[in-house]
Amino acid sequence: MPFAFLAPAFLAALAVLAIPVMVHLIQKERKDAVRFPSLMFLNQVPYKSTRRRKIRNWALFLLRSAAVFLVVAAFARPLYEGTLNADSPLATAREVAILVDRSYSMGYTGRWDRAMTAANAAVDGLGPDDRGTIIFFDGGAVAANQPTGDHARLKAALQGATPGSGVTRYGPGLKLAQGILETSDKPRREVILISDFQRTGWDGGEGVQLPGGTEITPISVADGATADLAVGEVTFRREEQGGRERITATARIINTGVDPVTDAAVTLELNGRELETKRVNVKANDVASVVFAAFTLAEENLRGVVRVASDALPADDRFHFLLSPGQAVNVLIADGGAPRSSLYLERALSISERPRYRVEVKRADAVRPADLSSRAVVLWNDATFPPGETGRRLRSFVEEGGGLVLIAGPRANWTAAADLVPGPIGQVVDRDHPGGALGYIDYGHAVFEVFRAPRSGDLAAPRFFRYRPVQADSTALVRARFDDGAAALIEKPMGSGRILIWTSSMDNFWNDLPVQPIFLPMAHQLVLHAAGYVEPSPWFTVGQVIDVTAGAAVSAADSAARRAPRAARDLIALAPNGDRIEIDTGLLRTEQRGFYEVRSESGTGRIVAVNVDLAEAELASMEPAELVTALEPGENVERTAGQTQLRPADRERTQSLWWYLLMVAFIVLVTETVLGNRQSRRRLAR
Amino acid sequence: MRVSHHHQGTVPGASFVDPRVLARIDNLEMVAKFVVDGFINGLHKSPYLGLSLDFAEHRAYMPGDDIRRIDWRLYARTDRYYVKEYEADTNANFTVALDISKSMDFGMKGISKLDYARFLAASLAYFSNQQRDRVGMMTFDQALVDYVPCSAKHMNVVLHTIDRIKPQRSGALGPAMNSIAGTLTRRGILVLISDFYEPVEQVLEAIKPLRYRGNDVIVFHVLDPAEVDFPYEEAGNFEDLETGERIPIVPQTQRDKYRELVLAHVADLGKQFSNDRIDYAMFDTATPLDYALFQYLSNRVRLMKTR
Repeated sequence: MPFAFLAPAFLAALAVLAIPVMVHLIQKERKDAVRFPSLMFLNQVPYKSTRRRKIRNWALFLLRSAAVFLVVAAFARPLYEGTLNADSPLATAREVAILVDRSYSMGYTGRWDRAMTAANAAVDGLGPDDRGTIIFFDGGAVAANQPTGDHARLKAALQGATPGSGVTRYGPGLKLAQGILETSDKPRREVILISDFQRTGWDGGEGVQLPGGTEITPISVADGATADLAVGEVTFRREEQGGRERITATARIINTGVDPVTDAAVTLELNGRELETKRVNVKANDVASVVFAAFTLAEENLRGVVRVASDALPADDRFHFLLSPGQAVNVLIADGGAPRSSLYLERALSISERPRYRVEVKRADAVRPADLSSRAVVLWNDATFPPGETGRRLRSFVEEGGGLVLIAGPRANWTAAADLVPGPIGQVVDRDHPGGALGYIDYGHAVFEVFRAPRSGDLAAPRFFRYRPVQADSTALVRARFDDGAAALIEKPMGSGRILIWTSSMDNFWNDLPVQPIFLPMAHQLVLHAAGYVEPSPWFTVGQVIDVTAGAAVSAADSAARRAPRAARDLIALAPNGDRIEIDTGLLRTEQRGFYEVRSESGTGRIVAVNVDLAEAELASMEPAELVTALEPGENVERTAGQTQLRPADRERTQSLWWYLLMVAFIVLVTETVLGNRQSRRRLAR
Repeated sequence: MRVSHHHQGTVPGASFVDPRVLARIDNLEMVAKFVVDGFINGLHKSPYLGLSLDFAEHRAYMPGDDIRRIDWRLYARTDRYYVKEYEADTNANFTVALDISKSMDFGMKGISKLDYARFLAASLAYFSNQQRDRVGMMTFDQALVDYVPCSAKHMNVVLHTIDRIKPQRSGALGPAMNSIAGTLTRRGILVLISDFYEPVEQVLEAIKPLRYRGNDVIVFHVLDPAEVDFPYEEAGNFEDLETGERIPIVPQTQRDKYRELVLAHVADLGKQFSNDRIDYAMFDTATPLDYALFQYLSNRVRLMKTR
């Protein structure tokens, strides 16, 4: 039989055909009796039982039965089972996804040319009924065109393509191909994978599920033996000499080749100027370190490059980095004038190299608005919050991104800061001997996270004898509480900045916190969190997404950038190849190696150094068959000589006969409705 | 003879009124006037002008007589001019006998048979009264129910009697006709309106006493279209309006046979009445009254010519 059904169980629903038969055979019985003038004549007519009745309204009956049959048949998913020979266009038409690896390893001498040749040959191999899509992939994937049978368009998509700076990941490209093939109506599907088949790009768990019957054709452009010398990580040692920073750079040189490299030149460049060249020998598959002479770091955003002589794979021959003098977090401590009230804080903040703190201590009543400029954090320690202009300036300082830490004490009076604190400050609470302790600590919070791991600081050790109770409203969050439930540390966001309230003192009178080992890291974290400090990274890796608006507000430029209104912060990044990238969300996805320059409309800028992921420099390739086996859809396709015999499910999907059946059923039902209405009207008229 | 469902326009000059429209008029006299006036207006343009109800005698032509009333066949035989005289020209007794048994209280769509019969009776009475006949009225079911003796002044009583008719019992022509025959003392015109749900022989047997007394009997058979066409679709129990008897009916299978029986009954009645020289007409309640009257009277004239 040329026709079969994919879900024949649905044919059981043909029993529903009994309904139109019954409707047309069995009379509708009235419940109430019909009142009739006389049964004189009716009594003379013999009564016939329903069994002997005939079908009435044959046309309607046939239409209704046909509609039921068509709907049931559609649900049973019919398919034509006749064999399609190889010459039939229906059997040979293909949907081909041509995947071209453009990771930076494809830049290895000769590989890209071979890949382009193979891709063009694949395009030429497309038949008149075939459709193709060029997909470039590295860490991500992009379709260079809509599926088309136009060879010229496909070749145009290949024209001018170059290897990128990304790493090989087969998953994204194959998933994109999967999406295209799944929606295709062509009977045959094929993936042509052109790559150097680096082993690092496949971990087997990509979740790729190619549609049944997909043919996978791997084309490897890998070389037999490879040689590559790459600059790995560069580390920096900072020293301070005579008030200036001296940097010693150490570069790791990696040889992934099978031959040792001797006397290779490794050069350090700063701002495009060659500073020093060293010679190095690296054994096969080994790493060597090169330590350059120390140099003085005097300027911001110093662009540095460590490079080796260009080889077959040039992408990893240069390592870019960006250096700026270690930037100090500018802190103002305003206290009430009590002796030694800020002593511990000042000392704690002076003990730090990265970052350094520039601390100034002033009496609170002597603080003027000008004292707040270029500060990252203000610690208002056991003092009256200033009314008037200074108070207003302090408020706007927080709203524009600054950090304010209010520390309680006997002299603390925050009446003028009613809108800054989450609640009024109460009278001194005395705890009995031996004092209270911290009872609840939010270890997920930035201030306490460093104490989260075991033996990384005992926050239960400090004893608290006194504190000033503060009721936190819904605008604030309590990050720590004393063991009696009162809030110890409260955080309240305000504008772009934040306010932290410590309800006890930091002077060793109301508690012994300053003499506990945890005081120093806690004070540092408190200030860094208030400042919103993020340690600047000297470089990023291709593919990383960078928040170009984030960063430590430790310099005047950064502070200004952060405090600028959002609308004025529309940023534009200048890519290493000169492309302009508009950054709407504040996030920059790096795709090239080199230096990105990020500029805002106001002219302030930031430079980001980006390097390739060295995992890609590992050129060891895998056997393409290994990948093909992992991707093989299974027994979805049966191939016989000269014939293509698809699975019934695939055959049914390509034929979509159910769709036509439903359409016919719809037309039949419309006809039935028209006919039925006409007959009803005629009957009513009678 | 059955008046078929022809519509207005088939008779020149006639404009007929749908019985359902008449049913909306509460005043019976107005209904009768409406029907009869329309009927007479139709007559004005018809070729039957001046013909009355019943032929009586001939008299010699006198100058001034309408020459259209000269009996030309008699002239051909006798070579003398005679003019036809009609009973209507004299004051005759005109009685309507109306069946008000429960079976008459049936109407599937539009008006019931009884309403139709009431309009018919009122229209005939009004028409006769217009011709200065004495008008009387009888209603019956299995016996005589109301009786209004014939009188020139009884028109209002007749209309009032027709107006307050209520069907209450089942019908039986035999006893009812006997009562009626006993009541009629003077020969005249008797119009009998019924649905005749009795075997033809019984009907004829019942009516014969009326005929023996020299009355000119005119029979109007009133049926609802549903009684003729039997348009029911759904099977179910059918209940006799008079006896309350119920039987299961499958209209689909029994319709054709039923129609055959009804039509045979009507044809048989028409044939037997015709043999007994009784005028018979079958009206269905969808036929406009004036149209029915017109058809009947014109047929009657034609038949009179052939008798």
